[in-house]
Amino acid sequence: MNAFSRVVEGAKASAGKAALAFTLGITLSFAASPLAAQEDALKDLPGYVDFAELSGVYGEPKVMINLGGSILRFVGGMTKDDPESAALLQQLKGVRINVYSIEGQPEAALKSLKDTKSLLQDARWEPIVQVNDDGDQAQVFVKLNGETMEGLTVMAVDEEEAVFINIIGQMDPAQLSQVMDNFDVDIDGIDIN
Amino acid sequence: MTEKPDFDDWEEQINALLDGELDDAGAGRLKAAAGEDHQLSQAIIEAYQLQRALANIPTERAPDSLRRKLAAIPALEARRGARQQKPGGGWWQQSWQVPRWAAAMAAIPLVLVAVNQTTDWLGPKEPSAAEIAQAQQELAVALSYLGKVSRRTGLEIGDTVNHEMHKTVNENMMQAIHEELEFNKEREL
Repeated sequence: MNAFSRVVEGAKASAGKAALAFTLGITLSFAASPLAAQEDALKDLPGYVDFAELSGVYGEPKVMINLGGSILRFVGGMTKDDPESAALLQQLKGVRINVYSIEGQPEAALKSLKDTKSLLQDARWEPIVQVNDDGDQAQVFVKLNGETMEGLTVMAVDEEEAVFINIIGQMDPAQLSQVMDNFDVDIDGIDIN
Repeated sequence: MTEKPDFDDWEEQINALLDGELDDAGAGRLKAAAGEDHQLSQAIIEAYQLQRALANIPTERAPDSLRRKLAAIPALEARRGARQQKPGGGWWQQSWQVPRWAAAMAAIPLVLVAVNQTTDWLGPKEPSAAEIAQAQQELAVALSYLGKVSRRTGLEIGDTVNHEMHKTVNENMMQAIHEELEFNKEREL
């Protein structure tokens, strides 16, 4: 069952509980302070990356997620039937993602990507994947500490959106791949069945 | 030709869906639209998460000492009013008749909810089930974006090696990371 199906099932289960005419408008105001607090708590970690603020150019991010280590551990605790996810989530310190709609104006996002790439190289992050195809760019960096990976940074810019992802904490790439499969939500074609 | 509904229409339909009042035809239309519009599908998910969070906001009873103090306000105001009241006195002398204490009592749950929300987010208090569920959804969205970029970069990698790589595209990026990690281990040794 994908995320959207869960939403629909959940909605059916909780039908009639609340009127939500105002919901979309207040989501951000609920989230603003906690996000800032969690962001501050992550800044000193070696896998943290300070992404440039692009809301001045593109408006508020269409997706802004900032999960700290403590809430990730609780989520891990809820996935005991999935030991790989639970083990990974116990190790993670943070998951951050900003996605901006850039609507055919990628210049500022590309500049941010380039600047961040330079910062990462200075901080001895290892480049893993670099795609440079006209307006379509993607960069993947990892922060290694001996035998462990302490951070993963993914930046991608195309004609429609700019995606900045930073995963902080010790992780095994194979485990992360498995967890990605387990949490699979097809954001390009969500199915409401 | 059918006109495309605007955002207000979608919002009404999302509300109806979450309230269990959307019929099958409406759900079908919403499904089709959400399949084509990521912002709409994201809005539905966020609305659902918020509905669940609102439904799970705990209310707490005010401390007894505070309740006693609030309950005493009408009597206190009555005594004060009786001392100050003169025949034909002004509105302020009738202040005890205005149920300000009722407004104060009504405000308590709101204040407690606000405090409760704040301590949930900022303090060491355990997150509620709704917050964990929301975090789980957010994690799924974050990982999906990771998967989306991974697929994009994986396809590029696939192209550069003349389609020789037949692994899943997720594995491409993760494999590259794994190899870098192995290389780093060897370098450390």
